[in-house]
Formats: sequence, structure tokens, C-alpha cells
Amino acid sequence: MTAMTALPIEVTGLNKSFGPVHAVDDVTFGVRRGRVTGFLGPNGAGKSTTLRILLGLMRSDSGSALVNGRAYRDLVQPSRTIGAVLDLSSAHPGMTARGHLRTYAALGGIPATRIDEVLHEAGAQEYADRRIGTFSTGMRQRLALATALLGEPEMLILDEPTNGLDPAGIAWLRTFVRTYAERGGTVLLSSHALGEVQRAIDDVVLIDRGRVARSGPLGDLLATADSLESAFLQATRAGVAA
Amino acid sequence: MTAFSGELTRLRSTRLPLWTLFAAMLCGGGLTGLLALIGPENATPPMPGLDTPEGGGIVLGIGGLLLFVPALIGTTAVTSEYRHRTIGATFLAVPRRGAVLRAKLGVFAILGLGYGLVSSLSSGLALLLGTAIHGEELGLPAGQLVTMLVQLTLASAVYMVLGVGIGALARHQLLAVGIVLGYFYFLEYVLMLIPGINRLYPILPGGATASLTRFTFLTEAIEQQTGTAAALGSPVMGALILLGYAALAAAVAVLVPLRRDLG
Repeated sequence: MTAMTALPIEVTGLNKSFGPVHAVDDVTFGVRRGRVTGFLGPNGAGKSTTLRILLGLMRSDSGSALVNGRAYRDLVQPSRTIGAVLDLSSAHPGMTARGHLRTYAALGGIPATRIDEVLHEAGAQEYADRRIGTFSTGMRQRLALATALLGEPEMLILDEPTNGLDPAGIAWLRTFVRTYAERGGTVLLSSHALGEVQRAIDDVVLIDRGRVARSGPLGDLLATADSLESAFLQATRAGVAA
Repeated sequence: MTAFSGELTRLRSTRLPLWTLFAAMLCGGGLTGLLALIGPENATPPMPGLDTPEGGGIVLGIGGLLLFVPALIGTTAVTSEYRHRTIGATFLAVPRRGAVLRAKLGVFAILGLGYGLVSSLSSGLALLLGTAIHGEELGLPAGQLVTMLVQLTLASAVYMVLGVGIGALARHQLLAVGIVLGYFYFLEYVLMLIPGINRLYPILPGGATASLTRFTFLTEAIEQQTGTAAALGSPVMGALILLGYAALAAAVAVLVPLRRDLG
């Protein structure tokens, strides 16, 4: 049984530098259960680095990033706790979608019966037996989501999920994420395209130049600005002025 | 156990086993069959015929010079995880990286054994068939033939593991393939030609393989040309050196990616 802490994702005082570049600078935020949290900021703001540290793919210089109170590598059943979509190109082009899912199901200790279910959930069943090398960006996106859903995880982490998607794909993704959260799932969604994700999220963490500029419910943020873009500009200008 | 099952599933989901089988038959049976058909006595300079005890050993030993092929397969397979950026997804599914890296080693050692088995069996068959076509009887005693084929099978697994280690270290596919080809196909032979340095040959992978299979043809040819060549070690010494390289490659393959950041 996974420990149910108050916040399923907690990032505290996180720091990471690459040589002289301070990519993540004392980042602190939490993600609430059953809500979609937008982790938003421009390219190079430190979003992907933070997510990679959270998922154990990178080591932080200091601070902590915990999932249900534990480091990702210490999770008993990581695939059943978090499903992550980090990189659309992370699939062998010579494999079929079904072969890809079979591999990650086996690695995660998930029964193969889930494969057809996730193909259906992600709307990818039509091209399940096609080689991934022939896929469009939208197809890859759906396959990545299907992979993330294999373990029926309680949380989803999506890094720039709208990249390369057409308007229909973005609308589909928005509906998918909202439905997932309405069923009790927790979502942390990073994006630099603030306008595209505004209608999908409940809470916001704004990050700029490695630092959290503002965080809280989307409604609170929009009370002082007419859009996420203007709220972001206000928050980052305030940071620069300070 | 899930890591091993996952890596085995990954292997079976690609065409790599098929290409490995094809490469093993081509480099084993194909090359040996060609050499046997031509007849070593017709080579320049002439070598002992297949009806002599040495002839069959030389033909099989020449096949051993293609052991860089399983190394290349291991290298390509591991670096393709970095090239296609699947290594991140793999470590997400199995965050205890050591488990998945050990599983990869196990799977590729098995694939290497499979390569060796197919290569050796097809070599043995091709050798017998080629000798029969010439209307001769193989001069190499049956026991020695089987021993050589078993040695080449095990050496294939070692070379596959070596390739995995090189791939884990280099990560970049072209660089890793360049290292394997450059070393096994070029540098090792160049080192054999340099007086003084060629004394190291018996402890290099190619030299250890030659010691294991008693394949003295290359060192003798170089001695005739340059007047100097290192004496090969005993088969046991060759086997121990190869196992040492396999252990080193396995350690590299498991330890190097353990703490590496994946961007």
C-alpha cells in the first residue's frame, strides 16, 4: 500500500546547476491530489530538469523531490504510481506500438492484458501493429500516453505534451487530462504554451529562469490578470524588479 | 526478474534476433564454406589442406577473426537505447538501474551464445561439406573440431558482452561502432606489426582468442614478414584473459550508467 501523504508530489528547495548555469534554483512547490497542475514557463526555464530530477533521471545538487513522500527510485511499484511522458521520440522505430507496450509492461511487472486496454484509452488501437518509425507526432503522443497509462497510475507527469500536436490533438489531450483528473488522478503538466493549457489546469506553478515565480490555484492567478500570459508576465516582471 | 523479462521482450520485439541469426550464418557457415570450397592449399601463400590436422583449424581460426561482429551487435543494441532515447523510459519503469543493466548483460550474453552456437554449427557443417566436396576427409580430429567450435561459441558470448560494455561507455552509436571496428578490425592488427608493442598481443582480446583456439596462423605470418612476433599463451590463459575482459565490460556496462544524468 502506497503511503498517502497530504501532497502526492512535493518539491522542496531543489537546486541543479550545469557548470555555470543554475538551471533549477531553490524550486519549491506541491501538487494536490485529484487536480491538474500546470508547470508553466518559457523554454529553458528549468521545467524539464525539475521533472527529470523528480523522476530519478537526474540527480539534484540539493533539495528534495518526492512522490508520495519517497524518492522515485524508492517507489515499490513506480509504474503503478506515476506514468510519465517526457520525450515523444523515446521509442524504437523498428518496433510496433504493441511490441513497445509489451516491453514496458514486462519491465514494469504489468500484465500483458493491459496492452489492449491502454491502446483503447489512448485511441491508438488502429495502429497498434504498425512500426513506430511510420508514426506521426500525434500517433507518437498517443503511444507515449498509452505507455504511461500501462500501470493504471495514480499520477501522470506530462512534459510539453502539446508539442507538435495540431488543434484537434490539443483538444483531445485536454479532454483526456480533464477526464483523468475527474476520475481522481493527479496530473503535473509542463508547458511553455500557456494559452494552450489554460483550459486544462486547476493549479499553476509558474517558473522562470530556474525559480518559481508564482504558484497557486489558477482562479487566484486569473483574479489579477485576464490571461495566463499576462499573469506570467506580471509575476516575472515582479521577480526582475525585486 | 521483471527487468530480465522486459529486456528479453524488448529483444524479441525487434528484428535484432533475426539479423543476429543471419550474421552468424554468414560469418560462420558462409565464410568457412567459402574457404573450404576454395581450399586452403590454393591460397597465396598456400596453407595446409583440409585433409591435414592443421588445415581445418586454420579455416575455423580465420572465422574467429570475425568475432568483432557479435561485439558490433552488442554495441549497436545498447547504443540504440540512447539513440532512440528509450533509456529514460526504461529507467522510469525500473528506477533501480543496476537491475535493468544486469538484465541487459544477461540477455546479450544469451544472444551472444546463440550467435556463437549458430555460427559454430554452420561453420562445422560447412567445413565437413567443403571437405566432402573435394573428395577428402577432414584431417582435424573430431574431438579437436568440437573443442574449437565450443571455444568459438563461448568467445562469441564474451565479444557480445564486450560490445555491450563499449556501447554503455560510448553511448553515441557511431562513435561506439567506430571504436569496435577501429579496434578489432584495424588497431589490433597494427599493434601486432610494431616490434616491442606486439608482445602485448597475447593479452589483447584478439590475441587471447587466438591463444584459446590455438590459431597461430596470423602471428606466424607476421613473424615471417617482420622477423618478430609475440608467442601466444595457452588456451587456458586465453580463456582467462577473455573472461577478464568480459568481467571488465560487464562492470563498465553496469556501473557507468548508474549515476549518469539523463537529459
